[in-house]
Amino acid sequence: MNEAIVSTCGLGKTIGRKEILRDVTVEVAPGSIVGIIGKNGAGKTTLLEILLGFSPATSGSAQLFGHDSFTLPANIKGRIGFVPQQDDLVNLLTGRQQLDLIAALHGHWNAALIERLGQAWEVPLERGILNLSGGERQKLSTLAALGHDPQLLVLDEPVASLDPIARRRFLHEMIEITAERTRTVLFSTHIVSDLERVADQIWVLRDGAIVWSGPLDRLQESVVRLRISARTALPALLPLADCLSQRVSGARASAVVSGWSEQRRAQLSELLGAEVSVEPLGLEDIFVELHS
Amino acid sequence: MGSLPAPRLFTLQPGSGVPIYLQLMQQVRRMVASGQLTPGTELPSVREVATEYTVNPTTISKAYGLLENEGLLQRNRGKPMTIAATRPAGSLPQRLKQVEPQVEALVLAARQLELKASELCQFIEKKMEKNRE
Repeated sequence: MNEAIVSTCGLGKTIGRKEILRDVTVEVAPGSIVGIIGKNGAGKTTLLEILLGFSPATSGSAQLFGHDSFTLPANIKGRIGFVPQQDDLVNLLTGRQQLDLIAALHGHWNAALIERLGQAWEVPLERGILNLSGGERQKLSTLAALGHDPQLLVLDEPVASLDPIARRRFLHEMIEITAERTRTVLFSTHIVSDLERVADQIWVLRDGAIVWSGPLDRLQESVVRLRISARTALPALLPLADCLSQRVSGARASAVVSGWSEQRRAQLSELLGAEVSVEPLGLEDIFVELHS
Repeated sequence: MGSLPAPRLFTLQPGSGVPIYLQLMQQVRRMVASGQLTPGTELPSVREVATEYTVNPTTISKAYGLLENEGLLQRNRGKPMTIAATRPAGSLPQRLKQVEPQVEALVLAARQLELKASELCQFIEKKMEKNRE
């Protein structure tokens, strides 16, 4: 097993009397693309900020490349690229001047990659940053975080102001740059359709706690809708331990469960004396069900 | 860059709720069963599929790995994976499908004779073991 790039154990954060994060225990393997989903205010940004060492945890621990996040040595910081939700671009500069400035701060700069991406993403590098659109700023900010070839790329809502075409191009590059498995990506979003494409691991954050974490494939296989039809009336409340929602009407019912496995079908079918069919759910439906 | 891109082999729909590796496996199985993919045919690499369809490579390599375990695909050192040359007549579900008519007839007969499924299974197991000797 490779060493985890990111790992937290029982991580909690309280600001004043408000608990922002509680008992977050997660791990990121090298080469994975982790998507963090959660409603506004679920704690996504706070979690990323603690992982990156911008603020300390109140309880538990957070480690990056095996080092405590809050006291990261400079050489470890150099392995990270971060695109914040609110960019910190300098309005007085042009895009190119901004990139040159950041390149000068790093010992290594992959000018060829940045040139290629700048063209692929149609970033007007010669224009003043003040005159860039929200989407253009976001793309420039991403270029600024990629130039030093970080091993870990952390993006907070990277696609929020991109149109569908730009988003698709962005996701395509994300696949390209991680295909060699030398880079790891951690990104938060509430555009769940993007996660269905590019993420291999999903963390669902709800009110500061991780309610689901693991491979996307497994999430899609465990959270499913069951359609149940019996010959006679079903009980008003179906005996399903991990039920997220259910509707019973006479001999028919539908229910969403969170821990489905195909072996359960025969068992359930016998228990209820009913036909049980399984319907996969899109990630957006899964997200909504996990919040019901 | 100069040549025209090959037409897309697969139809992957990330939004359908069916994990992408399952979609891919089903499509390869179907194309092999229908003769659209013949033994020896090279498949695009994991990286090619991932970038072409903008989907995570992990799910593609999972599909290829599982199809290899099923004996449908053959891994070749340093070369693209190919459709396996010698393989049982299809995947397990496909092979089961082939005996379905006989099984249905058997089930009907067993019902009429009031045999339990467990008794019948035991009988079949015994027969199959005897057959192997």
